[in-house]
Amino acid sequence: MSAPDRQQRLAALRDTIADIERKPALAEAANRPRSEPGAFPALPSGLVQEVYANGARDSGASLAFALTQAKSLLTTRRSTIYYVQLAHEGKHLGLPYGPGLSWFGINPEKLVIVRVADMTEFLWATEEATACRAVAAIIAEVRGASKLLNFTASRRLSLRASANRVSLFMLRYGTRRESSAGHLRWQIMPQRSGRHAFDDRAPGKARWRLKLERGRIAGNQMDWMLEARKNGFAIFSQPAGLGQSQAQTPVLGAPPALLAHRLSQAS
Amino acid sequence: MALHLPYWPTDYLKRAEPALKNQPLALYERIKGGLRLAALDPEGLQNGLRLGQNLADARAIWPQLTVREIDRPRLEAAFGDFADWHSNASPLVSVMTDVSRFGDLVLDITGVSHLFEGEARMLSKLIIRLRALGYRVSGAIAPTIGAAWAISHFARSQVVGDDNLVTLLDALPVAALRLEEAQLLTLTQMGLKTVGQLRQYPRKPLQARFGASLLIRLDQAFGEIEERMTPRLPLVEYFAERRFADPISLMDDVLRTVHDLAVKLKETLEAQGLGAQAFHLFLYRVDHKVMTLSLNAGRVTRDPDHIADLFHHRSQRLEAEYDPGFGIDMVRLAASSTDRLDAVQTGAFSIEEGTEDIDRLNDRLTSRLGPLAVLRTELVASRLPERAARLVPVQSGAAVPAIAAPVLQRPLKLLPAPEAVAIMAEVPHGLPASMVWRGETYRLVRGQGPERLGGEWWRKGERLKLVEPDPKKPKPYEPALPQFNPDAGTRDYYVVEDQHGSRFWVFRQGLYGSKNPTWYLHGFFP
Repeated sequence: MSAPDRQQRLAALRDTIADIERKPALAEAANRPRSEPGAFPALPSGLVQEVYANGARDSGASLAFALTQAKSLLTTRRSTIYYVQLAHEGKHLGLPYGPGLSWFGINPEKLVIVRVADMTEFLWATEEATACRAVAAIIAEVRGASKLLNFTASRRLSLRASANRVSLFMLRYGTRRESSAGHLRWQIMPQRSGRHAFDDRAPGKARWRLKLERGRIAGNQMDWMLEARKNGFAIFSQPAGLGQSQAQTPVLGAPPALLAHRLSQAS
Repeated sequence: MALHLPYWPTDYLKRAEPALKNQPLALYERIKGGLRLAALDPEGLQNGLRLGQNLADARAIWPQLTVREIDRPRLEAAFGDFADWHSNASPLVSVMTDVSRFGDLVLDITGVSHLFEGEARMLSKLIIRLRALGYRVSGAIAPTIGAAWAISHFARSQVVGDDNLVTLLDALPVAALRLEEAQLLTLTQMGLKTVGQLRQYPRKPLQARFGASLLIRLDQAFGEIEERMTPRLPLVEYFAERRFADPISLMDDVLRTVHDLAVKLKETLEAQGLGAQAFHLFLYRVDHKVMTLSLNAGRVTRDPDHIADLFHHRSQRLEAEYDPGFGIDMVRLAASSTDRLDAVQTGAFSIEEGTEDIDRLNDRLTSRLGPLAVLRTELVASRLPERAARLVPVQSGAAVPAIAAPVLQRPLKLLPAPEAVAIMAEVPHGLPASMVWRGETYRLVRGQGPERLGGEWWRKGERLKLVEPDPKKPKPYEPALPQFNPDAGTRDYYVVEDQHGSRFWVFRQGLYGSKNPTWYLHGFFP
């Protein structure tokens, strides 16, 4: 019996057991990554991803990383991306800029900007948006730390997000890491950009190094060197010490929050 | 119906401060350096005091008198609240400010009186209600506003019909016509004391002597000319209300009531095929105050759950300000900005689109966070980057068709205000080499630019320097505006990258050689 065949049968057996138990199938069964070797895997919706950047200077990079993923989640049913920011932090971090979004390839009308006054409102607005089934993704940006943004709050958000299959990107700054219930935690570090086609002195396509600090995605790869392209990311070089030989393991998907029959969450 | 509260200032103060209750009270005002009495209670009048008297004289006549300085804006505002509260009797209430800024109230009770079992009972009910609160009041119901005012001031409280209007008015003094002091004085000199005498007098000399205003007042009282009143609260066509035998005070109870009312309102609107965009909630407090809460929905709706939900979120935002006082005895939910909303079939063949859910989410966010917190981008035809996009509330009507702007290389994030940075660059055309921003030094290794953007002289009220015209021809018109300096308004934008890979958008305001070019950081690239 060859290895893939065996895996398939195992998966089928797992499904059967889950059906008998009236419990959702194991998370990975539902969320096979659409990943090709050598490319960044297309992450399923319903994940909470934390993206840590060093400071305000890299806020463009983390927003671009989140937007690139959010762009692939836009459908006619889920047509809008929400961006939540504390109003007083806007002066420091800047605000998403319409013509810049057009340049990036996103229609500015698809992005709703919510500026909240304090952390309570921030959590409320984020949760309210997460609860809406017509939202493609939420990008929430917090610069400082807050007592309210603790494990309980992030657990609430992640349950909501996976129940409604809305992706939530938390853009955070600094080196401090707080405990949270997010599924993935990235650290983004901009790299020297690629070569500009017509001008050697000009910055080319944006490149970032992404370290996965928490969670697991295909190939158990922890370190990525990505280049921004029109429709997603491209890997431009493999960091040393990581080969292609490792077996493809499934993407860690959002653990379904509802203990119901799995057909009910197929929608 | 007109209600007249002659002792409103003192009655109001006595009600607001119970300590004053059983004391003689007078309010004084500073007129031309002298302290004169401006308002009195009835006991004062009985004891020989009069309005306009010197304060010292009044104290001499009656030493026990308590005096206060009159606070007219406060009294006016309080009377406004008092008037609003009367909208539980009739939706059209207004304050008559012809003679005094406060003390006179007029209600349009057309089509309302049957709710109170007739006009006479309505009048007595309202008057008794006010007297129980400690206000001295007289009132009248009459076919015209002028007549009702006159009777409420100068006759006993009663209902006057069309038949006995003329006889009653004729007997009243001329002051009942809301005339000016000077006009009254002249009329007394002429020996015209009552409205009847005035009406017998030929009109032409009257007009010549007093101007048109006297005749207008006369005609208004008798209904020859129509008089309009401006209601204080906006007139709403569609509303649902509920009165309570026992006042309620908890916000939860109010919200539950709102849901019930929303269901009622939905039936009314549905029957007409209408939906509404603006909803107003009026809470009538027992102690004659009205609290209003208004909100807007993004699209025309009549869904009771959604409306109740929006008020629920709005109330959470107002938690601290909510004060039911001694209780709320009536709740009214009104809908305005109505528009056609046809019934929609939902079912197997409907296409699931997210727009409705998104609109509702925006409504919910807006109702709690405020309209200026939930924004979308609107592109503007402008060269200046900070003007090229502006944030507008998501609910601000239909989206304007996006202008076909050329897609330029622009940063993903823009700082609301450009931050001044220190930049070293080769003069005049070199790329920036190093930058100090927020106290940190960045070595810039790559750069692209400049992208030169000219200033928009037409926005600043400045004049463009034109080519010198032909001296033989007459000079064209030149507005007296300062001349536009193209050098100072010009910006050179650069995309720069530091040695670690962070990419910025910086610009230099002004050209080298002009006064003092300064560098700013404006945005962040991915």
